[in-house]
Amino acid sequence: MAASALGWALRAARQVLPSPCTRQVRSYYVDWRMLRDVKRRKLAYEYADERLRINAIRKNAILPKELQEVADKEIADLPRDSCPVRIRNRCVLTSRPRGVKRRWRLSRIVFRHFADHAQMSGIQRAMW
Amino acid sequence: EKDESVASKDSTTEEASKRQEGTAETPKQKLLDIIGNMKVEVSYRKKLQQLKTREIKKQATDNLEGPDSEGTMLQRTTEQIQRGKPLNPELVEAASAVASSLPLNKKQTVSELLAQLRRHEETTDKQKKGGIVNIRNVISEMAVKRQSPAQRGVRISNRIFLDLDEDGQNIKPGRLSPQSFDSRRSLKVGRRLNIFTKASTETENALKTVSSPTIWDLEFAKEIAAITAQPPRNGFEEMIQWTKEGILWEFPVDNEAGMEDDAEFHEHIFLEKHLEDFPKQGPIRHFMELVICGLSKNPYLSVKQKIEHIEWFQKYFEEKKELLQGI
Repeated sequence: MAASALGWALRAARQVLPSPCTRQVRSYYVDWRMLRDVKRRKLAYEYADERLRINAIRKNAILPKELQEVADKEIADLPRDSCPVRIRNRCVLTSRPRGVKRRWRLSRIVFRHFADHAQMSGIQRAMW
Repeated sequence: EKDESVASKDSTTEEASKRQEGTAETPKQKLLDIIGNMKVEVSYRKKLQQLKTREIKKQATDNLEGPDSEGTMLQRTTEQIQRGKPLNPELVEAASAVASSLPLNKKQTVSELLAQLRRHEETTDKQKKGGIVNIRNVISEMAVKRQSPAQRGVRISNRIFLDLDEDGQNIKPGRLSPQSFDSRRSLKVGRRLNIFTKASTETENALKTVSSPTIWDLEFAKEIAAITAQPPRNGFEEMIQWTKEGILWEFPVDNEAGMEDDAEFHEHIFLEKHLEDFPKQGPIRHFMELVICGLSKNPYLSVKQKIEHIEWFQKYFEEKKELLQGI
């Protein structure tokens, strides 16, 4: 049931996140761009091994060049969203593409908001 | 008489020597306890040793009757300890100096002193680690003498139970023992009344042959679980719930949680046996050997994943065989 809803998200960004917890769960992604980023991450995870192996054949001085050209074509044939370069580390709460701190996965504005309300553990205003 | 005076003199001189060594090392209170303990032990041991060496059997049997088991226990422990860790050289020198000052057989006294020191160190180590007191072991091995039934009350008080209460202290059950004693007697003694029939094993087997749970059973079980799962009353219960769900790790943190790699190290490193299907010569072999070298250094993959990696390459090269032969 949850899997089918996941597969075919025709409605507005609604994804039934398959989790057994009974608390309040966010059932929408923030915007479509975030959804696309999620898709790219999933595909990149699936094809990661294959890409690694084909690249190992390509970036080689030992194997014959014809083989490497064939490998080039093969990796180009893989779906475009499977390459990890297209992933953008967006803010988790606002989907902001810029100004995101990696450790907290939050944009600078959200981070500041939470830190000022003392909801970030171990974060304090700098003063020296 | 003469023996006892000599024994007491020896004990005092030994005490003095030990005191000199002790103050250099241990705090005062511990020292006083040790000296208090040592006084009794040393005099007993010395007495027994002397009696044995002079072969005065009558006196030996008379004197050994009381602390009989204790004495043998002490001797046994000293023998065991002599194989233990080496003593402080200063202590050894002090022991030899003391022995030389005494009138008796010097080698024997030195060995006895060293044995005593070793035993003392062992007991302090045990106490530091919080081990069981030696006295308990000694007492538990002591045999209880059989007395007449008229002296039953005395017998109960002599029996020392090893039940520990919260503090780890010995409970001497003055009040409880008569009751437990009576109940113990009444349980085992007497004819069988044949009131209860023995539980048959058939019912147990019948329970095991239940069919696999139906959907309705599963739903029922889920319903019960949902109803009985009360919201957490406090932060601790919340954390317990989170740990069960997998949101929170188990503490102390186990670095290998979820990683169940039962393979030995040699299965990770020596991967050449998977290379049998590849040609022996040529660039492909060279390439695969490099791949294997890289995999053997990878601590993050499991053995299965590494084998899959190699098999993928094998499949790939087989598909490209015609192409390769054209080259």
